[in-house]
Amino acid sequence: MERWRDVLVVWIFFCLLTGCGAHRANRDLIVLLPDRDDKGGAITVTTKGGSQIIDKPGYATEVEDPNKPPTAPKPLEEKEIKHVFGLALAAQPDPAGRFISFILYFEHDTAKLTQESKNLLPEVLKTIKNRKSNEIYVVGHTDLVGTEAYNIELSSRRARHVRDLLVSSGIKSSSLFVSYYGKARPLVPTNDEVPEPRNRRVEIIVR
Amino acid sequence: MNYKERLILPLAVTFLLLSIGGEVSPADASPSIGIVKKLSGMATVVRQGHTISATIGLEIWENDTIRTGRDGSIGIVFNDDTFLSLGPGSILVIDEFVFAPKQGKFSIVIRMLKGTAAYLSGLISRLAPESAQFKTPTASIGIRGTKFVTKVKGE
Repeated sequence: MERWRDVLVVWIFFCLLTGCGAHRANRDLIVLLPDRDDKGGAITVTTKGGSQIIDKPGYATEVEDPNKPPTAPKPLEEKEIKHVFGLALAAQPDPAGRFISFILYFEHDTAKLTQESKNLLPEVLKTIKNRKSNEIYVVGHTDLVGTEAYNIELSSRRARHVRDLLVSSGIKSSSLFVSYYGKARPLVPTNDEVPEPRNRRVEIIVR
Repeated sequence: MNYKERLILPLAVTFLLLSIGGEVSPADASPSIGIVKKLSGMATVVRQGHTISATIGLEIWENDTIRTGRDGSIGIVFNDDTFLSLGPGSILVIDEFVFAPKQGKFSIVIRMLKGTAAYLSGLISRLAPESAQFKTPTASIGIRGTKFVTKVKGE
């Protein structure tokens, strides 16, 4: 009989620790968090039964049965996020080591930088030199006005323009990796044919 | 022979055979795809059937399985700037990792079996979002430049 009492005590203690019976314990849980530079990130959670897009930080979806779609995204309290994920989050490496990124914007339908973005160039160059980086990514994009083919060409011109600017400022062209995506990857999602200055851009990512 | 020596010899032979067979091309001789940057408690890496105790600075390879003990947690930085960390009692497999900007090849496929993880996406999900995948036993997560956490109850 003694032994059964011990088992019961252990079981109760286990439940206190793990929250047996709490509904959430039986479900997989996925939560979108605020990104450091908050550039319109999103995740799509897909099961055999369907999928859900989460694009608001702090929102969560749950999967109980893989044959059903994930639950509709709902906000999750910060306390709860900390409770479940605190130790995993504490193990995230120091963000100081991360790549640094810049966004340069362009005038409508051109490969001409806006004045503000021109003014940002010295800082970009300083960052590349300070980091002694030999890995710099130059990625061209457009907004959603016009055909795909036209915008591919426009985004390529924008990216090449920025590459040429960097090369003429003394950056080795072998350190530069150029790519372009036309209208396929807007920073701010819009409907087709919507002019959006924030999507007319070149992203520079410095390792 | 102590434990470490017994491990090293077969590994050395394997490498020799691999290099004779020409399987490892000199251009990407290093199999390292990331590095352990943070560690607390017990964590291990299972690689080609061998279990390695994780230490800060340990290189991570494609197909490694990462496990944390009941008190363990680990933080990894991948070559493309993806940050991945695991809480206690977690198991996760790196099924694919390719970051070769010169060839325009990108792919990251992570399969989580159990526990808790935090994922901060890197360059692959920015340059080739369709090639970044995070799988759990019940769902697959597509990633567009962002940070998320996930909990998997396991079997």
